Amino acid sequence: MAPTRAVLWTTAVLALGAGAVVAALVLTGYSDEAVPLALLGLVSGWSFVGSGLVAWARRPENRIGPMLILAGFTWFLAGLQFSDISAVFTAGALRENVFIVVVAWLLLAFPNGDLGRSRLCRTMVVVGFIDVIGVAAVHMSFDDFGGGSPGAEGPQNLLLVGADDTFAAIALGVQRGVGITLSVLTIVIVVYRWLTASPPMRRAIATVLAAGAATFAALAVSSANDATGQPLGELQPFVWLVFATVPWAFLAGLMRVRLARTAVAELVVELGAPDAQGGLRGALARALDDPSLEVAYWLPGHERYVDVDGRAFELPVESEERTVTFVEREGRRIAALIHDPALREDHGLLDSVCAAAALALENARLQADLKARLEELRASRARIVEAAEAERQRIERNLHDGTQQRLVSIAMTLGLAESKLAGDRETVGPIVDEAREALAAALEELRELSRGIHPGILRERGLRPALRQLAYRAGVPVELDVVFDDRLPEQTEATAYYVVSESLANVAKYAHATAVRVKVGQTDGRAIVEVADDGVGGADGTRGTGLRGLRDRVEAIGGQFSLASPPGRGTIVRAEIPCA
Amino acid sequence: VRVVVADDSVILREGLARLLVEADFEVAGQAANARELLEQVEAEQPDVAIVDIRMPPTHTDEGLQAAREIRAEHPGVAILVLSQDVQPEYALELLADGTEGVGYLLKDRVSDLQELTTSVRRVGEGGSVLDPSVVAQLVGRPRRGDNPLDELTEREREVLELIAQGRSNKAIGERLFITEHTVEKHVKNIFAKLRLAPSDDDHRRVLAVLTFLSA
Repeated sequence: MAPTRAVLWTTAVLALGAGAVVAALVLTGYSDEAVPLALLGLVSGWSFVGSGLVAWARRPENRIGPMLILAGFTWFLAGLQFSDISAVFTAGALRENVFIVVVAWLLLAFPNGDLGRSRLCRTMVVVGFIDVIGVAAVHMSFDDFGGGSPGAEGPQNLLLVGADDTFAAIALGVQRGVGITLSVLTIVIVVYRWLTASPPMRRAIATVLAAGAATFAALAVSSANDATGQPLGELQPFVWLVFATVPWAFLAGLMRVRLARTAVAELVVELGAPDAQGGLRGALARALDDPSLEVAYWLPGHERYVDVDGRAFELPVESEERTVTFVEREGRRIAALIHDPALREDHGLLDSVCAAAALALENARLQADLKARLEELRASRARIVEAAEAERQRIERNLHDGTQQRLVSIAMTLGLAESKLAGDRETVGPIVDEAREALAAALEELRELSRGIHPGILRERGLRPALRQLAYRAGVPVELDVVFDDRLPEQTEATAYYVVSESLANVAKYAHATAVRVKVGQTDGRAIVEVADDGVGGADGTRGTGLRGLRDRVEAIGGQFSLASPPGRGTIVRAEIPCA
Repeated sequence: VRVVVADDSVILREGLARLLVEADFEVAGQAANARELLEQVEAEQPDVAIVDIRMPPTHTDEGLQAAREIRAEHPGVAILVLSQDVQPEYALELLADGTEGVGYLLKDRVSDLQELTTSVRRVGEGGSVLDPSVVAQLVGRPRRGDNPLDELTEREREVLELIAQGRSNKAIGERLFITEHTVEKHVKNIFAKLRLAPSDDDHRRVLAVLTFLSA
C-alpha cells in the first residue's frame, strides 16, 4: 500500500528525533571517540531512513523502502550501547547486531523486497535474528564487559547473571562464528546473483549489491579480527564507515532509475525524428536499456500479432528471460513489447515509455497492418496464378487424353473406311479426303490451343529446349542465350516461358523486327529473362492485355517486370523472377 | 512384318492394331505403358515397335525413353514414335542417335492408311521417317543473316524436305513425278548450295540435312 504524506513525514521526524537522542546519549557516554561515533552514527542512520523514505514513496509495492527505514532505526538502537546509562547500554549492546541482520535481509531481498521462494535465504534471516538476539542474550548473561567489579567505571550490563569468562567466550564464539558464516554466505549469494543476472538487472542492482558485499566483507574481516585479539587494531569505525555506504549505494541505484526517467524525455525527442537509428524498436530499446527488446503489433481483424514488416509474430511464453507488456491506446490494444523481465522492476519507466510511444506504436501498427495486407494480397495473387496454372495443365491434359484422342481415332476409322472402298473410289474418295482435311485442321487447331495452354516440353525438358522449340515458330529469327542448364522451380520456369512466348508473340504481331535476342540468366536466386527486338518500339505496357498480363503474372510471384520501348528503337522486355 | 503397338489409349491402340492387321501386318503384341512395351519387345522381338510418346505413369516422354532403351538393347527392332504434337526438339533428339530404323510421326497420319503403312515398312527396312510437319517447321524457321536456303529453287526446297523426311531418291522421284536421275541432280545442287559434303549413304544424307536444318 502507498504510504500517505503524513506517514512519511512522521517517520522522518521520528528518525530525526531518534538520531538526535542517540547522538546525545553517545556524546554523554563513556566512549573516548564520542564525537566521530555520534557523527558517523547520524550520517548512516539518517541515510538509511532517508533513502528508505524515498524508495517507499517511489515504489510503494516494494518492501525495500520500509526495510531501509527499519535498518535506519535498528542502527540508532545499536548506537545506544555507547550510553553511560546502564539500561540503555544493555538494550543497545543486546541489539547491536540486529542492524546487520536487517541489512543482510535487505540485500538478500533486493530488488523485489521479498525473499521469494528461496528457503536458504529465509533460513539465513531467521538464524541471523536468533544469533543476534538469542545467542547474544546468552553471551550477555555471562559477560560483564569488564565492568563487573563493583565500583568499576561505565554502564552496567543489567542482563548479567554471573560473570563467567569461559561461558562468555563460548557464547561470543558461537555468535561470531554464525555471524561470519552468514556474512560469507550472503556475499556468495549476492555475487552469484550478480553473475547470473541479465544485463538490465545487473545494472539495476550493481551498485547496491557491491556496497552490500563490501559491507559484509568488512564485517567478516572485523569479526575475525575481534575473535583473534584484534591483530589489525580497532576496526569498528572502519566497519561503520562501510555501513554508511550502503544507503548511499541505494540512493545511487534510485538515482539511476531517476536518470532512466530522462530516457523517456530523450525517447520523445527521438520519436519526433523521422529516422531514428534502428527505427522505433531501436528507440524503445535505448529508452528501456534493453537491447533484446522486440515489438509486435496487434492486428485486430486477424486476432494475431505481426512484426514491423507484417510477418506473423508468435508471442513468447512468459519465462525468466522474456516477458510481454501490452501497450494500449484509448482502450484498444495496439502492440506488445517483448522484453527482459527485469524491466518490470520499474513499472514507472515501462509505463511512461509505453505512454510516450503509444502514438508512434499506433502508426507503426498501421504500417505493419498495411504490410501484412500487402503480403496477404501478394500471397493470394500467387495462389491465383498457381491455381490458374494448375487449371491450364488440367485442361491441357483433358484435351490431350480426351478430344485429341477421339479425333485421332475418328481419323483412323476414316482411314480404315477408305481402305474398304472398292468400286466407289471415284465418288467417295474426294469426300473422304475432305473429311480427312477437316480433321487435320481440327487437330492442328487443338494442338495450337494446348501449346498455348501449357507446353509439355517445359515440364519434361526444362527452359532451354522449350524456348528453342518456341523459337522454331517465332516468325522472327531468334537468338537464344540461356546461360544455365539446371532446372528451376516449376513456377519460375513457367513464368519465364510465359514471358518469352508472350513477348515473341508481340514481336511477331507489332514490332516489325528483323531479329530478337532472348536471354535467360540467373543472379542472386532470381531468373533474369530479357527479350529484346530491333523493331519499331513504342509498346505501351499499360494498354492491351498482353503486357499487362505479363506484368501481373511476374509480379504475382514476387518478381519484377520492366518494359523499355522508345519509338523507333526496339523493345526490351525484362523480368526478374524469384527462383523459389 | 511383325509389330508391337504401345499406346495408353485403348481406342487408339486397338484401332491401330486393327488398321495394321487390315494392311497385312502381324500385330505381335499391344502395350499400355513403357514397361509393358519393353516386356513385349523382349518376348516377341518384333520388326517394328510403334510407340506413343506420352504414356503413363508421368504422361511426359516415356515413349522416347522406351525407344532409347529398345535401341540400346534390341538394335534389330525398328521404332516408330507417334506424337500428338509437332515437337522438333523431341524428333531431333530421337534421330540424333542415328537414323537407322527410326521414325517420328504425327498421330494424325493414321488417317492415311497408305502413308502409315509405308512409314512402318520404311523403318522396318532400316530407313528413317520424319513427319512432314516437323520438317516444314525446321525448313521454314526464321534464320538470322544470310540464309543459304533462300538460294534453293522451289523444286530443290521440295526435294530437301523429302530428304529430311527420310525418303530415298526413288521415293522422291515417284512423289514429284520426276526421274530418279533428275532427283540425283537436285540433290547434288542442294548439297553444293548448302555447302554440305555429298554422300550416297541415305542415313548420312538425312543426318547432314537435319544437322544443317537444326543448327
